Amino acid sequence: MSNAIDIRDLVVEFPGAHGAAVRALQGLSLSVPEGQVYGFLGPNGAGKTTTMHVLLGFIEASSGTARLFGEDVRRTIARRRIGYLPEHPDTYRFLTGRELLLMAGRLFGLPRAALNTRADELLALVGLEAAADRRLAAYSRGMLQRIGLAQALVNDPDLVILDEPTSGFDPLGRIRIREIIAALRERGKTVFFSSHELSEVERVCDRVGILAAGRLVAEGRMTELVKAGAPAVAGESLEQYFIRMVA
Amino acid sequence: MIRMLTLAWLVWLEMVRRKDIYVLLILLAAFLVTLMALNLFGLDRAVSYLKEIGLLLAWVCSWILAVSVSCRQLPQEERQGTIFPLLAKPVSRREVLLGKWLGAWVVTGAATLVFYVLLALMAALRGGGFGVVVLAQAWLLHLGLLAIITALGIAFSTRLHADAAAALTYVVTLAAWLVLPRVPDLALTARGALQTGLMAVYYALPHLELFDLRRRLVYGWPPAGGAAVLLTLLYGLLMAAAFLTLGWLAYRNKRFTRGAML
Repeated sequence: MSNAIDIRDLVVEFPGAHGAAVRALQGLSLSVPEGQVYGFLGPNGAGKTTTMHVLLGFIEASSGTARLFGEDVRRTIARRRIGYLPEHPDTYRFLTGRELLLMAGRLFGLPRAALNTRADELLALVGLEAAADRRLAAYSRGMLQRIGLAQALVNDPDLVILDEPTSGFDPLGRIRIREIIAALRERGKTVFFSSHELSEVERVCDRVGILAAGRLVAEGRMTELVKAGAPAVAGESLEQYFIRMVA
Repeated sequence: MIRMLTLAWLVWLEMVRRKDIYVLLILLAAFLVTLMALNLFGLDRAVSYLKEIGLLLAWVCSWILAVSVSCRQLPQEERQGTIFPLLAKPVSRREVLLGKWLGAWVVTGAATLVFYVLLALMAALRGGGFGVVVLAQAWLLHLGLLAIITALGIAFSTRLHADAAAALTYVVTLAAWLVLPRVPDLALTARGALQTGLMAVYYALPHLELFDLRRRLVYGWPPAGGAAVLLTLLYGLLMAAAFLTLGWLAYRNKRFTRGAML
């Protein structure tokens, strides 16, 4: 099985105070095989969002390589098969929900006829059919998160990158997100998401990576990490394990 | 190309749904109606002063609109965080830059056409009028001018906040408009490196005065030569391309981090 994400020895430095560089990522290496749901955990400032931003080409790494489906992330073509939901899904408030999806689809070069059908499907998927023609300025935070998720799925991506996807949702919305992630897994899609909600990660992930101070301090299948056997202590929950690893 | 046009459409839609253009249009109309109603110095039958002041106002409104629209496009994407889902799609930064510029250019060009039509209607109501060919030429050349101003605004805004980019664009375009034509006179009195430097500035900065056909419109002079209009338009597009290239050089490796432009 090939890898959807391949990161090797990634270092990202930001200019700090008095000219000193701050290392956000310190030689990070990780791989996510296709078809897996990968949970990316870590305390605030660990480098989760920075890693995602390198993968999406928002920032260039100081050294190391990052690839999506074998393509260098600096190439535009690498982003054809991915969908992305940011942590704060701010969007063009002057557009309606439907217009946002149509615009996103056009940026992927989807044909107009297929795009209209796709927009309807996605609006139904995230439960926004009734608000489809309402301006986004009138959407609540949860609705913005849902339309953000819909635009991330507009191109039927093979890899979905979700940054704190459940943060703006009520309990029902979280259940819906879990269902969508499960449906994506069933269709062989790869999901890479960061979250502070360890219970969410425990429920939906096949594999988990724990990041602390820009380094991957633990990685493995959920069954390896939270059930019997090393490196986790038998019977330990993911939360207990997480605290032990990042402390 | 489709991605560039989609981004341009986004700029267009935003402007149509915002109030900026309508406010400028209402202000211009109100000013022109006031001018028409006044009988300054017994000039109630003269139309040329209405044309002259009206054209000046149309130019100023168009200039303000071009600077404000172009300078806010890129910083706004960063401030609102919309740049992240945008760049996560197969859209290159070159396409973002060109799409935003195209949108700003088309929006301000269309608004300028409305300003010109409004002015022509007012002048016609007063018993005067513009030559249609000269009016079309004036608008075409105005498009060339707007191409330069919007490109300059976009280029500055790749690395500056919207307000700083707008201030800089106002200063540079005003200097190019008022000071640049006088530079050869200054160069005559200078010697050596200073003279060379002044002439380098003279050729490097855009000559906005070339795009001005207002006198032909006001005094009813015949149309300019077609070749001259096309060459001037080409010059405008080349200058715009040069500024956009500089903007792209500044933008292509820019690091986007949440909150960097807050």
